[in-house]
Amino acid sequence: MICVKNLSKSFGNNTVLDNIDYTINKGEKIVIIGPSGSGKSTFLRCLNLLETPNMGEIWFKDQLITDPKCDIDKIRQKIGMVFQHFNLFPHLTVLENITLAPVKLKLMTKAQAEELAYQLLRRVGLEDKAKDYPAVLSGGQKQRIAIIRALALNPEVMLFDEPTSALDPEMVGEVLEVIKELAIAGMTMVIVTHEMGFAREVGTKILFMDEGKILEEAPPAEFFSNPKHPRLIEFLSKVL
Amino acid sequence: MNLFTDLIVAESYWSDLWAKIHQNLIHENRYMLLLNGLSVTLRVTFFAIIIGTVFGIVLALMKMSKSKVLSAISNLYITVIRGTPMVTQLLIIYFVVFASVNVSKIFVAIIAFGLNSSAYVAEIIRAGIQAVDRGQTEAGRSLGLSSRQTLFLIVMPQAVKNIFPAYVNEFIVLIKETAIVGYIALEDLTKAGDIIRSRTYEAFIPLLSVAFIYLIITSVLAKLCDIVERRLNRHDMR
Repeated sequence: MICVKNLSKSFGNNTVLDNIDYTINKGEKIVIIGPSGSGKSTFLRCLNLLETPNMGEIWFKDQLITDPKCDIDKIRQKIGMVFQHFNLFPHLTVLENITLAPVKLKLMTKAQAEELAYQLLRRVGLEDKAKDYPAVLSGGQKQRIAIIRALALNPEVMLFDEPTSALDPEMVGEVLEVIKELAIAGMTMVIVTHEMGFAREVGTKILFMDEGKILEEAPPAEFFSNPKHPRLIEFLSKVL
Repeated sequence: MNLFTDLIVAESYWSDLWAKIHQNLIHENRYMLLLNGLSVTLRVTFFAIIIGTVFGIVLALMKMSKSKVLSAISNLYITVIRGTPMVTQLLIIYFVVFASVNVSKIFVAIIAFGLNSSAYVAEIIRAGIQAVDRGQTEAGRSLGLSSRQTLFLIVMPQAVKNIFPAYVNEFIVLIKETAIVGYIALEDLTKAGDIIRSRTYEAFIPLLSVAFIYLIITSVLAKLCDIVERRLNRHDMR
């Protein structure tokens, strides 16, 4: 579904991604872990071109999205993204946050979008918050809204950039629960996270990144019980 | 006995003051000078802020544009305007730019203050837009909205909150700054007070009246700004 070839990205002299090749298949749940500054967030942000790669190709299905002629706005509708800091629009209500893109992109009428929004809100148990502004919500509530805001466009892939890192510990669970349900429903996902238990439970494959390279790639059971790369062994000994 | 003389002194003081007020403001309809001056001040300010706003938006967009040429032009203009005194700019526009053309002084003043204000408005708008969290733009773009849609639907509505107070402040500054149009012999509020002073040889009443009028206008504006600002921020309250 997403195919990355020879991807490199640097900020000034600092190489963040170093010649990465990777293919993500439909239905896979890829979890990326690694130390801070390893390039995992940048990798994720390259997949929908929030960061422009310096070199390499990214294919989404049969389209080369790194081609300047490609209409990236169209592609982004198919790639949902959830951010560490939620990035809800503070000047809009919860309902408007969810309906803005589908309506403005002329994918749905306002009534259709609102019906879908309520359906999604029910799914995450936040139906009563529809008319509230983001400022009155807790972090966990905001992140659940951010997830369904992306889902309202019916994406084919979801990218999660440390979705629980900015949350109070007692709110992590409710957000992970929503992501798990989404995984069970068959969504293709790429998740950058520090939650090892969650990675093990949800991931179909775990990637370990350091210094802009994918150093190890394995199904969760093997990844955690039988790590091979010395950097990964060292990393796991610190975090587990 | 003492109380009695005190009363006489006090009364003569008040009647004295009343006589001065009468002589400076009412005699020969002198208040009309102030009202006409006020009208000039308000007209110059009002039209200058319109020019300043329109041109300021253009300058801000130029400065933020990807084109290096446009951004350099805008930058140069803003640097020159902000780096030279308003009085000098006014004199240049009157005696140099419009030297050989016969135009009204009020028109010259409007142009001069409009051009000046646009540089400040441009910086206010640019700063207000750039103060909106980058994550907001990223969220908008990640949902498939174009950069234009993101700017107008997501960034601008939030930027208005940052821009508004500074913008009103620029308006207030402009009202006070127009007091220098006397340099090109335009009779605004300040000049009117000065004319009265030169006729009555009395500075206290006319000049304080002038100051008082400015104070009322700027205070009302500041108060209005307060009210609107509170409305704009109502969704941010926890």
